[in-house]
Amino acid sequence: MKKYSVFAVAREAMRHHTGWNRAWRDAQPKKRYDVIIVGAGGHGLATAYYLGKNFGITNVAIIEKGWLGGGNTGRNTTIIRSNYLQDPSAAIYEKARSLYETMSQDLNYNVMFSPRGVIMLAQTEHEVRGYKRTAHANALQGVTTEFIGPERVKQLVPIINLDGPRYPVLGGLWQARGGTARHDAVAWGYARACSDMGMDVIQKCEVTGVRSEGGKVTGVSTNRGDIDCDKLGIVVAGHSGHLADMAGFRLPIESVALQALVSEPIKPCMDVVVMANTVHGYMSQSDKGEMVIGGGTDGYNNYTQRGSFHHIEETVRALVETFPMVSRLKMLRQWGGIVDVTGDRSPILSKTPVENVFINCGWGTGGFKAIPGSGWGFAELMAKGQSPLTDAFGLNRFQEGRFIDESVAAGVAH
Amino acid sequence: MSEPVSALKNISDLNGIAAIREIGPLGMITLRGDLSDRAVQDAAKTAGGANAPDQRKINAEGDGGVAWMSPDELLILCRYDEVPLRMTNLQAGLSKGHALAANVSDARAVFEVSGPRAREVLAKLAPVDLTPGQFEPGMMRRTRLAQVPAAFWMTDAETFRIVCFRSVAQYVFDLLKIAAQPGSEVDFF
Amino acid sequence: MLVLTCHACGVTAEETEFHAGGEAHLKRFGPGSSDEDFEEYLFMRANPKGVHFERWRHANGCGKWFHVARDTMTLEVFGSYSAQAFAPPEELLSRIEDRRPGWRGQD
Repeated sequence: MKKYSVFAVAREAMRHHTGWNRAWRDAQPKKRYDVIIVGAGGHGLATAYYLGKNFGITNVAIIEKGWLGGGNTGRNTTIIRSNYLQDPSAAIYEKARSLYETMSQDLNYNVMFSPRGVIMLAQTEHEVRGYKRTAHANALQGVTTEFIGPERVKQLVPIINLDGPRYPVLGGLWQARGGTARHDAVAWGYARACSDMGMDVIQKCEVTGVRSEGGKVTGVSTNRGDIDCDKLGIVVAGHSGHLADMAGFRLPIESVALQALVSEPIKPCMDVVVMANTVHGYMSQSDKGEMVIGGGTDGYNNYTQRGSFHHIEETVRALVETFPMVSRLKMLRQWGGIVDVTGDRSPILSKTPVENVFINCGWGTGGFKAIPGSGWGFAELMAKGQSPLTDAFGLNRFQEGRFIDESVAAGVAH
Repeated sequence: MSEPVSALKNISDLNGIAAIREIGPLGMITLRGDLSDRAVQDAAKTAGGANAPDQRKINAEGDGGVAWMSPDELLILCRYDEVPLRMTNLQAGLSKGHALAANVSDARAVFEVSGPRAREVLAKLAPVDLTPGQFEPGMMRRTRLAQVPAAFWMTDAETFRIVCFRSVAQYVFDLLKIAAQPGSEVDFF
Repeated sequence: MLVLTCHACGVTAEETEFHAGGEAHLKRFGPGSSDEDFEEYLFMRANPKGVHFERWRHANGCGKWFHVARDTMTLEVFGSYSAQAFAPPEELLSRIEDRRPGWRGQD
């Protein structure tokens, strides 16, 4: 792998950029691997990367039915934060956030991590109390957050309307080192690093069956033939239930479409990420100038990557209340991703009833921010059978009643 | 007894593409029970002055009438000051069976939207096919107006009566007013 | 945008008049049941790609619950039936069979 650097850019500039290599090999499936990861999105690629980097396991294939990073990794609103209330969540999201800080250097790939700060607006007395409590919990967890008053919110976000027609802004939970990153680049960077370690990233390879013997996995069947493996990691977000069904177990998961949209590009007007959870809209500005807007989830199970029309109205209404200038913006594009939502709205990183099959799913509406932490913990779980980062996120918690009690009612953006 | 007043004191807006008036207070009694029960039908007829209507229909005459609300619910309409008497009659007529009558007059607000473009104004706010022929006088529709639940029927070819919760009366009036603002003709119907 | 017909009042309207209530025909396991059954009842869901039976409520209408058969991949609505049914009616099942030959085998 050629190292990306300012010298490489200068050298290539001199020869009309004819010397760049493919970022990752277009690999063909081998007969057998030590580990197969199903799903070449952020979480799957990060898992493979840390399997190689932290545990020296490099005989790995990452197989993907579509194209790399084409699912929720390429469809989210790229928000990164770790201001969670419960200890297990704060631990894995903060691990992820701290890995994002150095990801561009670690991967030698610019993921454009921008720690511009994230505000979650408190617009009811309950939210004020909830976020103050979260700020105190974060202090104990070593996560730097702060509850700020409305004046400070206005200072950080001049375009905001504090007096909202329905809900005034009473303050906010501010995480200064939260922010955004370029979502595609995260997948591309991990893929390049995995490929460089000798792993095979195989696109357009759809799993059609999971093979096992005596309750132990032996491999997968795909549209490109059978592939054997010792261990199998399923990291397929909205399609987890489908894969689990092939492997012969059930999941406490429902899949729904979550929407996002972007506006036409405008001059810089907001240099932080703002989440208004009560009226339900969240927004940041991309480097291209587009306002990146997160919408709502459909109320019913579905696998269509578009979402219901009326959610656009609801989302835009919330944003016009919060940022009146948005009323003059045209919206450019709208799309949806299939998110996998669990009973307690927290993820599952777990062993499964089939030996050596591991599952990483249930990130629901907020998985992008967790990618490196999830990969780090899940790789450890797959390599060693246990990880302090994933202990609390086992499948058994639904039977034992040990739920991760993040504010479940939200469903989006807890 | 204090003087009954409607939610918005009979506010009106006559400048738009349809006339909007808050009317009332009107008498409204919710009657729940087995609608196939003869006693319930008779009690409804006595109280509302009209036969119990078929599914999604309303039999109304002036301020009186009976509307079908759900498989086990009728809405009886009458003059506001007649409600106590009709309640007494209903209780007597329903005493032998399992049914419930409740005076909901003060929990509701009533609007009238009239004019050749009344259909258009309502169609902007409710997910209902209001094409002539699809929705006509005699039909009752429970639905939503923008973000709140509402029910409406037509008293003639150009007049709607809308019932909503009293707590959202101002919201509904504002909605109707915006949907009817001058120059907002769509010319769909 | 789904267009559903309320089985209770017969109104056909788009989805904003309704509220989705999740998978249909779940058997309730309450106090005294085993951990496995309770988990199954509370959390485990079929979440199929394809034909899905589910509960809906006509929230901004007659207020009643009813059942709907729908395809989660195409959003095609096959029909609605009574909330009091323990299983989809045979007539509906055969209509689905016409549209999705062999779907029963996949379940």
